[in-house]
Amino acid sequence: MTSTLLDDLLAEQNCLTPVSRFAREHDRKGNNLAGTYRDLIPLSAPGPGEQYAFEVNLDQCSGCKACVAACHSLNGLDDSESWRTVGRLHGGSHGNSIVQTVTTACHHCADPGCANGCPVLAYEKDPATGIVRHLDDQCIGCQYCIMKCPYEVPQYSDRLGIVRKCDMCHGRLSAGEAPACVQACPTSAISIRILPTSTAQIRAKEGIFLPDSPDPRITIPTTQYVSNKPLSADLRAANHAAPTVQPGHGPLVFMLVFTQAGLGLLTASMLVPLDIYGFPAHGGSLQLGFLLTAALLVLVGLIASVLHLGQPLKAWRAFLGWRKSWLSREILVLGAFGAAAIAAAAIPLLTPWFDLPPWAAPASWLAAILTGIAGVFCSAMVYHDTQRVVWRGQRTFIRFFGTTALFALPQVLPISLFLKLLWEARLTFLPNPDSPLPQLTDPQRCARLLRGPLHRWTMARFLIGLTAIAVYFISLPAALLLTLVGELIERSLYFKSGISAGMPGS
Amino acid sequence: MNFKSKISNLRFPRPVLREWDGTLTSELVRTPGRFGLGQLPAAHQPDAVTGSICGFCSTGCNLTLHLRKGNAVNLTPDPHYPVNLGMACPKGWEALTPLDAPDRGTTPLRHSGGIMQPISWPEALMEFTTRMQAVQTTYGTHAAAFLSTGQITSEEMAFLGTLAKFGMGILHGDGNTRQCMATAVTAYKQSFGFDAPPFTYADFEESDVLVFIGANPCIAHPIMWQRVMRNRRQPEIVVIDPRRTETACAATLHLPVRPKSDLTLFYGLAHEAFCRGAVDHASVSSYAHGLEDYAAFTRSFTRERVLAETGLESADYERLVTLITTGKRVSLWWTMGVNQSHQATRTAQAIINLALITGNIGKPGTGANSITGQCNAMGSRLFSNTTNLLGGHDFTNPNHRAKIATILDIDPSRIPDQNSLAYDQILEAVEDGRIRALWIIATNPAHSWIHQNRFHALREKLNFLVVQDMYPTTETARMADLYLPAAGWGEKEGTFINSERRIGVIRQVRRPPGQALSDFRIFRALADAWGCGSMFARWTSPEAVFQMLKACTTGQPCDITGIRDYNHIEEEGGIQWPFPQEQTRVPSPLPERRLFEDRRFYHPDGKARILFDPPTPVPESPDEDFPFWLLTGRGSSSQWHTGSRTEKSAILRKLHPSDPIVEIHPADVAKIGVEDAEWVRIESRRGAAKARVSITPTIPPRHVFLAMHDHQVNRLTVWAVDPHSRQPAYKCGAVRLSPIRQRIERVLSGQV
Repeated sequence: MTSTLLDDLLAEQNCLTPVSRFAREHDRKGNNLAGTYRDLIPLSAPGPGEQYAFEVNLDQCSGCKACVAACHSLNGLDDSESWRTVGRLHGGSHGNSIVQTVTTACHHCADPGCANGCPVLAYEKDPATGIVRHLDDQCIGCQYCIMKCPYEVPQYSDRLGIVRKCDMCHGRLSAGEAPACVQACPTSAISIRILPTSTAQIRAKEGIFLPDSPDPRITIPTTQYVSNKPLSADLRAANHAAPTVQPGHGPLVFMLVFTQAGLGLLTASMLVPLDIYGFPAHGGSLQLGFLLTAALLVLVGLIASVLHLGQPLKAWRAFLGWRKSWLSREILVLGAFGAAAIAAAAIPLLTPWFDLPPWAAPASWLAAILTGIAGVFCSAMVYHDTQRVVWRGQRTFIRFFGTTALFALPQVLPISLFLKLLWEARLTFLPNPDSPLPQLTDPQRCARLLRGPLHRWTMARFLIGLTAIAVYFISLPAALLLTLVGELIERSLYFKSGISAGMPGS
Repeated sequence: MNFKSKISNLRFPRPVLREWDGTLTSELVRTPGRFGLGQLPAAHQPDAVTGSICGFCSTGCNLTLHLRKGNAVNLTPDPHYPVNLGMACPKGWEALTPLDAPDRGTTPLRHSGGIMQPISWPEALMEFTTRMQAVQTTYGTHAAAFLSTGQITSEEMAFLGTLAKFGMGILHGDGNTRQCMATAVTAYKQSFGFDAPPFTYADFEESDVLVFIGANPCIAHPIMWQRVMRNRRQPEIVVIDPRRTETACAATLHLPVRPKSDLTLFYGLAHEAFCRGAVDHASVSSYAHGLEDYAAFTRSFTRERVLAETGLESADYERLVTLITTGKRVSLWWTMGVNQSHQATRTAQAIINLALITGNIGKPGTGANSITGQCNAMGSRLFSNTTNLLGGHDFTNPNHRAKIATILDIDPSRIPDQNSLAYDQILEAVEDGRIRALWIIATNPAHSWIHQNRFHALREKLNFLVVQDMYPTTETARMADLYLPAAGWGEKEGTFINSERRIGVIRQVRRPPGQALSDFRIFRALADAWGCGSMFARWTSPEAVFQMLKACTTGQPCDITGIRDYNHIEEEGGIQWPFPQEQTRVPSPLPERRLFEDRRFYHPDGKARILFDPPTPVPESPDEDFPFWLLTGRGSSSQWHTGSRTEKSAILRKLHPSDPIVEIHPADVAKIGVEDAEWVRIESRRGAAKARVSITPTIPPRHVFLAMHDHQVNRLTVWAVDPHSRQPAYKCGAVRLSPIRQRIERVLSGQV
């Protein structure tokens, strides 16, 4: 009965309205919105000592977030990708409370952390405009720029294996058009201004930026937030007490722990009095075992690090950034360490068959130890240099060299591991300030992550650590294996709870 | 990311130290666009453009759709449209994304054995007609009902209302507009004699004092807020809201009234207006009835009483009184804070009364203005054939029935001579067995209706539940016996009417997935299957129906007989009603027109009515067991109602917190025993929900706020409605909170 009608309806449903009937014919070049944004972009290009900078009028920003969606649509970005975000600050007292929405994109910093950290020079601070551009085809997908940027600006694309970021729509600007976000703001809250670099430096020095946001002295951001009603410094980001779990970086966890444990075992192989555990003293098998295991760990660790990269085939350029990038230095030094560790393990094995000079073994061992120490130092500097408070100084150095120490001195493993666990526990159970609206420090926020969303892994870390101590009195290899597992979990937690200050979220 | 695709992403380096361009760089190349669009991603350059009105809210923004071979690949807001002037909120920018969701319905589905089984359209139509007719045969014709929406086109609403009521003999049908606009409809009808929001958006720009009551346009209507920000008269912006919202922060005066005390406040303001000589009795009496009675009634709303009942500071109240009584252009804007209340209609009318008595009506920058909710709520008010007979007519009026029967060329006896039950009454009729079959179109009451546990129990009482929607995955569709796959916005044609009465056109720029059909075509197929196809012989296309709807408005306040066709609407940048035939002598309608410039209202005597009643107690207020007021509302500009569409966009999902958030005041933290960002259990007498605490002084002490977009929220709300509009009271209720802690935290605090 209805088959004919239904067939018609289904056919009809698949006919798009003929374009000729309604397509508008004002086929013109340029941008119909030009009148709207005329006052929001500069008339001329920046002069010497100046650059383009975003200016956000907070009194005009109402939190509609059109800028975020427009950036996504007008730049043809991937599904969840946008180079702008909008967060919220709130606080004050009842009767005088405020909510302030804050739109944010790349701050095109005067001293960009991303560019300074990139091992392959995939960032370029344009000398004419000051725009910090990312060279997508140069990027190796190491994601170090994400860690180096206090504002969490670069975003990693799984699909492409590289990061991408805001380029201030430089092509639009050079054609006299406004960037997508500037075009799309219904209340004209975002504009592009020409800013003398010296102004950015002075403002950063004086700490003028935005409440509950990263310290501007780190990278000297050029975005200026302006308002007629200055924001009180005690405003908190809406997500202040709820930091998000960070990426776990599995390959990096293995790379760090294995190279550090490898260095430890390498050291142990020379320091261990061979008969202390009741092993037969004559064969040197424990020594050799330590040495071979050390080399294997370092090798696996280095291979794992390559898996971390989105574009590993381009990684040969990693030396390019050595002048500024600790990651570049780490790659070079750990590479040398790997070679030295393999040599150190190979020489004793080869000695029976080849006539090697007597200094070859101690020299290779020394070379491995020295490059190893330099490598672990570079590893620690990589994270220390991100300026993330929870990764600064001892918070990284104690962990990294601690792992080495655990394996370097297996005789005292119960004591060293216990001390390390104690030190970690102190960081995990940092007390919160006693206030309904506490201003949490980054270490306190990090600790909340460890006790909150990460609590299962935190418990596992401590249980496995304590078990390793107990097992030590039964079997050393088993205890070392458990220690290794414990360190892997510790390092995974290090990344997952490694929060950056970040811009206010929602 | 799986290994295989990781491998396929690998790029070999070129033998240079730095690669400045290549395949990855070219992904983001922007090239100059045509059609005045400026630079666009090279991959999405259009070969043609067209326009459509956005299908989310009632602002009615026009979106320029970028077409490639007729298919929309991107969009930008239309710079020439008088509503949005080249801007859109994130929902508008993302309007195409929900069409590509993987969970779109592609075939009809029948519930059998606990799963939804795909069936063919002929089977689905057979299922619909036989089971619906079986219910009507066994339990009476009126045992089948429908629940419709403000989200489909006027032509589709009219088809549904006409098919169901005149074709299938269904008497009871209502829309989800009951949940958002019924109060404004009732208030305007009673006060002005017709459901007629009087304003045009230019009033935002031409006002001296803008008063927002229970409205948060920064978040809910950002493009209307754009118009406020374009006001060059240095306006005072007053926000009346218990919460310090984004809009309250942007205002020059925020009055944090106690929940539901706004009626008292407006009676007090009227009293002050009378006392301070701000009422021109002779002039007002010439266009409104009931002025002297109102003066007498409001006499008891003294300053002391108002301050005591609203909790306002004396100085703040005085400032508002001064702003309203000193002859400035005052415009009063309200939305859900007023509409969703147990005394909503009288509150809306107290606002209307204030505009009437202070002369703030029919002049630029004035008016008692209801901001509507859904993209076509205003269309449903005129053409859904539910509360009103088509074209704003009355089912109980024989002349109206005869007029409509003639226009539609049907037997007048097919038109029911009584009114439908309202939404809540339909559900109560399901509860007591009078209604046994329900047909739900493009709405999601299993999430949005109050007192969810009671609503969900209704499923057992229904012999047959049909859900017609874009997605078979909505909470309601998952409960259905039969699911019909609908095409969405962008996949069909028709018209919407926005908040300022502007009619706009939507166009088909996408093909729907599988066998999904537009609601219009589903109704055509159902009419045919039901056996009443001949009644709809002229209902061949949306534009043909539009011509009939035009005819239905002849002589009505909403007369649009001067509109030629869809192209005419597009050429003019949308056309506001009224636009009767005689106006077509003028070459073009003015782009912005307001009502009542002649102070003639739609009651037969041309006068407005001043209506009032004493305030009544709230249905539920905090007590010892449930010590907190529960406030609900919109969470962010990226969320729309139950999220059935907005949650399909990864960008929109990013723009709101991923966890449900409950806002509490710092003073209540110790009482509940929670820390910021911890999870709490929220309980009312009707149900429970879990959310993460956000401690903020922007919510008053002893109040909590939950965004309505989370499906748990309506487990808590109370089943209470306004007696006149029958709109549910979503914005009051009593709850209690208790912490839910992580195990390790409990161990540490010695609780385990």
